[in-house]
Amino acid sequence: MNSKKGACLTAISLTAMAVIGVALAGCSTTPPTAPAGDSAASTQKKVAAGVAGPQLWAQNCGRCHNIRSPNSYSDAQWDVVLLHMRVRANLTAEEHKQILAFMKSAH
Amino acid sequence: MKLIQVISGACMLAATTILVSAQDQGTNKDVVTIPKAQYQKMLDEHQKLLEEMKEMKAFKARMEESMKKVAPQAETDQALNDLEKEVKVVKQMAKDSFPGTTKMLLTGYGSAGFTAQDHGGGNSFSATFNPIFLWKMSDRLLFEGELEAELEGHDTSLALEMAQISYVMNDYLTLGAGKFLNPMNFFVERQHMAWVNKLPDKPLAVYDGLLSEAVVGAQLRGGVPLGPTKLGYAFYVANAPELQTDSSSVSATDLGTFEFDNFDNVGKHVAVGGRVGFLPIPELEVGYGFQVSSVDPPGGDSVNSLMQSVDLSYVRESSRLKGIVNLKAQWVWSHVDKFAYDPDGAIGGPFSFNNNRDGGYVQLAYRPSRVENAVIKNLEPVFRYDMLNQVHTPSGFDEQRYTIGLNYWLSPSAVIKAAYQFDHQTGPNAERHNAVFLQFATGF
Repeated sequence: MNSKKGACLTAISLTAMAVIGVALAGCSTTPPTAPAGDSAASTQKKVAAGVAGPQLWAQNCGRCHNIRSPNSYSDAQWDVVLLHMRVRANLTAEEHKQILAFMKSAH
Repeated sequence: MKLIQVISGACMLAATTILVSAQDQGTNKDVVTIPKAQYQKMLDEHQKLLEEMKEMKAFKARMEESMKKVAPQAETDQALNDLEKEVKVVKQMAKDSFPGTTKMLLTGYGSAGFTAQDHGGGNSFSATFNPIFLWKMSDRLLFEGELEAELEGHDTSLALEMAQISYVMNDYLTLGAGKFLNPMNFFVERQHMAWVNKLPDKPLAVYDGLLSEAVVGAQLRGGVPLGPTKLGYAFYVANAPELQTDSSSVSATDLGTFEFDNFDNVGKHVAVGGRVGFLPIPELEVGYGFQVSSVDPPGGDSVNSLMQSVDLSYVRESSRLKGIVNLKAQWVWSHVDKFAYDPDGAIGGPFSFNNNRDGGYVQLAYRPSRVENAVIKNLEPVFRYDMLNQVHTPSGFDEQRYTIGLNYWLSPSAVIKAAYQFDHQTGPNAERHNAVFLQFATGF
């Protein structure tokens, strides 16, 4: 009975995770590069977001540890580090993109 | 009369001669008369031309000299050929070393420390090394692996701390599978690294205590913006922990605790858990974590467990305080349904007890980062209070500790820590060990 309950719990859990996954998978995905022909409004948003890169870096990274200098790693290394931190710190795609762009531009 | 005729004839001859001479001059076309100023100007220009001609002759001589020094055409061609070959070789070397579309980074942390405990606790040096392998296989695919090498007793233990593959499904959702740090345990997932943890040791209850450090399973996690705020989440399924019930294999004080490294999934149960963190303002995060599972041993009655955790993190740089205030707190509860331990009476049973334990910590650190003094700005005093309540379990003691520390940051990821810990235990199995800690920790 207990193994059946465990299997049932597993099935329910996996189903719930799958439902959540499918629901959120329907959300838009930010492309790694901006598509051509952006509107002025979206361009302005991007500019504003770019200004927020240092702020997002200080807030999200400083929440757990001392902030490392952008010169600590090369651009290729920051690619890896930021993806690792996106997973660990639950960064959104926009936060990930802004912080990564700032780290690469700051050295 | 004759004299007058001779004189007249001579005068006429002289006049004729003069006249003829004048006519001759008038008809000599090679002679030109010009004003003296113009003549002088022409003379000056002539002199100038002579000087310029002299300079040109000298320049020509120099050019001819330099032409003699230039290598012959054949040698120049050979040199160009050699240079082209070298450029090709260098290009190939650069191409060979280019990593391609995948990127790998070896990072991690390490520490060296000394602990001295009173009341017979002993003194010892220690060292740890935690390499972390990160492999970004594409913009969406990441592998993370961490090993921990630690000195224990007479041996060096090597453990697999983490081995997880993550796939970014969309802007707000990432799927992970493997062995990963327990998402419901804020300290383990975000703070336990030696260069991040602000004290040389780890708090009671949250580490090597009531919650697991890592789980083996699968998870969905991500961050979602909520207007000006943000929500972070992680949900997982994993091997359930193993309840320690066998008095023949574990000590009496460990009955009712968990073996979290249940890699073979003894009991064949599955744990479901997760954590939700809310950030109402960027400086503040509050979170709630949970894990539920059946933990009864094979063939026994149903026994369920519920673990819960609440956590708080507040980090703010204050101009008024001229530095950074860092407040961390976490409290955990562990509940296990009643179970009959030692049914055969090997250690005086059978007996059962309320298998409820709780504990946690509060920690405050301050770093005067805006002070201009180069030494003071790198100092960081830390205070932590932590406790563990389990006196009514076979473990038989409650524990409270007060730890005061002072850190000196050599760089953002390298720190020297010194701390003194007041330890207080109550209960039948109480021991007390005040301790001095020294540690050098670095992340790389």
